Amino acid sequence: MHMDRTFQGSPTPGPNATTLARAVGLTVDMPVQLGASSVRIVDGVDFAIGVGERVALVGESGSGKSVTARALMRLDRAARVSGRVEFAGRDLLALSEREMTQVRGGDIAMVFQDPMSFLDPLMTIGDQVAETLRIRGVGKADARRRALAVLDELRVDRAAERLDAYPHEFSGGMRQRVVLAMALVGEPRLLIADEPTTALDVRVQDQVLDLLDDVSARRGLAVLFITHDLGVVAGFAERVMVMYSGRIVEDGSVDSVFARPRHPYTRGLIKAVPRIDQDLDRLYAIPGAPPPPFARPTGCAFHPRCDAAFAPCLRDVPAVLPVEGGRAACHLHASQGA
Amino acid sequence: MPALKVYAWFLLKRLGLTVLTLWGLATLVFLMIKLMPGDEAQMAAGADASAAQVEAMRIRLGLDAPLVAQYLRFLLRVAQGDFGTSIVTLQPVMSDLGKVLPSTLELVVVAMLINLSVAIPAGIVAAYRQGGAFDSLCRAAAVTLGGMPAFWLALVLQFLLGRVWRVVPISGQVSFGMGSPVVTGAPSLDALLAFNGAGFLNALWHLALPAAVLAALFSTQVFRTLRASLLGVLRSDFVMAVRAKGASARRMLTDHALPNSLNPVLTLAGTQAGAMIGSAVLVETVFARKGIGAYMFNAVAQKDTFAVLGSVMFIGTVVCLVNLAVDVMQLVLDPRIRSAQFGSQH
Repeated sequence: MHMDRTFQGSPTPGPNATTLARAVGLTVDMPVQLGASSVRIVDGVDFAIGVGERVALVGESGSGKSVTARALMRLDRAARVSGRVEFAGRDLLALSEREMTQVRGGDIAMVFQDPMSFLDPLMTIGDQVAETLRIRGVGKADARRRALAVLDELRVDRAAERLDAYPHEFSGGMRQRVVLAMALVGEPRLLIADEPTTALDVRVQDQVLDLLDDVSARRGLAVLFITHDLGVVAGFAERVMVMYSGRIVEDGSVDSVFARPRHPYTRGLIKAVPRIDQDLDRLYAIPGAPPPPFARPTGCAFHPRCDAAFAPCLRDVPAVLPVEGGRAACHLHASQGA
Repeated sequence: MPALKVYAWFLLKRLGLTVLTLWGLATLVFLMIKLMPGDEAQMAAGADASAAQVEAMRIRLGLDAPLVAQYLRFLLRVAQGDFGTSIVTLQPVMSDLGKVLPSTLELVVVAMLINLSVAIPAGIVAAYRQGGAFDSLCRAAAVTLGGMPAFWLALVLQFLLGRVWRVVPISGQVSFGMGSPVVTGAPSLDALLAFNGAGFLNALWHLALPAAVLAALFSTQVFRTLRASLLGVLRSDFVMAVRAKGASARRMLTDHALPNSLNPVLTLAGTQAGAMIGSAVLVETVFARKGIGAYMFNAVAQKDTFAVLGSVMFIGTVVCLVNLAVDVMQLVLDPRIRSAQFGSQH
């Protein structure tokens, strides 16, 4: 039903940024079983990412964050992606699969959650990093040299000696650097980081985040950072988009969203972050659980868990409306007058 | 790469295990001889032998010695490649096997090549396009072929291809007058050794149908195993990471997904090599080919105990060696197995 939602103009990146990537009415359907019916995982989302901008995409597990990100690169073969995805003015959904392979790893690269399962266990890390370049016709020696340069830049210990080592011979943090090197060696303009620190222990998380911060700043790299950790968002991103049940419910600068969250869901997420300066007996959690995508509630998908829900919430999908410092999709907010 | 020395050490360890396995097999064979009804001395002396002749044979074969002494002597003989004498050909079983085996190996090697070169590409395409028309077709074919008895398939194909359409010969290994001097005993190899091009093609032409029949059942197993393994690998995370680098479907499949799904196929192919030699019994009989299958078939039919047990021992050896080769291939393929064997090299 996203047709009847009005989007106020085309999605724009944060202030002071020219648009690098843009999704308009991005919708992803996943087949439930082969050939049978499908489920709408992402339901018409609009957003834009500026050149060099760092945007966080947050939400609970199953909210459609990863599926949205993968749809930008058309990574999942089973997914049916519709709407519009633009990168540097090109419509990616109109490209052939062959043209798309040039975009992947070249214009847009991705790092993943669990660095062990995202590396090929049978290939040396040198070959895996160099492969991004080899695909683009770079010679063997040259690709190896550049792979080594990136691994050194990412401070992989004894990288030169360990180019011919295999993933299982590396620690979790080092593997994540290898995965990052695999993404950066093709010199992308947009890096999608899909929960890159979730599988790592806290100390290593900080190292990898610092590294990501460092490299993206140095390279002027735009980053779409997917996470459910609001603490990471505050430290890393300039802008944050909140996703719930396949839709974007709030989008704004990190400062304004954290200071004045508009959507009750965002408020709940922020409230649920444990704070060291508050002495609570119990941690807050939003009551209930996110709906499965095949049983999305009518109207605002959040209404069964929302303590402020009223009649329109049960009936109509709220439009994404501009607010000060961003936009939000909430009847409460709309009725108070934007 | 681990140094050659570690490979050599691994080989040595595995060879040791192979010797132990063969020792076990030899013991089983010895027990079978002892437990089988009938008197060995009587069998060796022949059905028409007199009581005195049987007794003389018993002493000559050392069958009057204690069981343990007989067992040790048996092991010693087997270790020297002496499997006894066939009561049908009156030749040492080993020299009989030497004559028939190359023909069987020719059949099995060609059947294995057909098996893998049909099943592996089919498995790759079927898994990549899971649920598509090709996948459905292949799975239907696998069920049909897999459920057909090999001898029946052989007869049907003989009738259709050999009799009705006349595209391949029904039986034999080489046409009359096309043969080459026997060097190895495998017609195709002999033709090559004699620089007999026409004879070589003729031998392959005779091989086509029996090898295809032998391959049919096995290729359905390889197809199913590879398809299942590849489907699992294609769902794994690193395949998505490879796609995210911009790899084409072809590169993703050949450089990443296939090597990661080959392990169960290798293991299967290893056991198949042994089973193929066993199945060759039927195929060689139906197609009137020389070989260990036909030799064993005759040996069983004529109660030629030593020939049967010698063949069993021999096939066991081949299976052990093939498994050894599979172990080495897996070691080359998977660095994690290398690390587990030798410790990390870095």
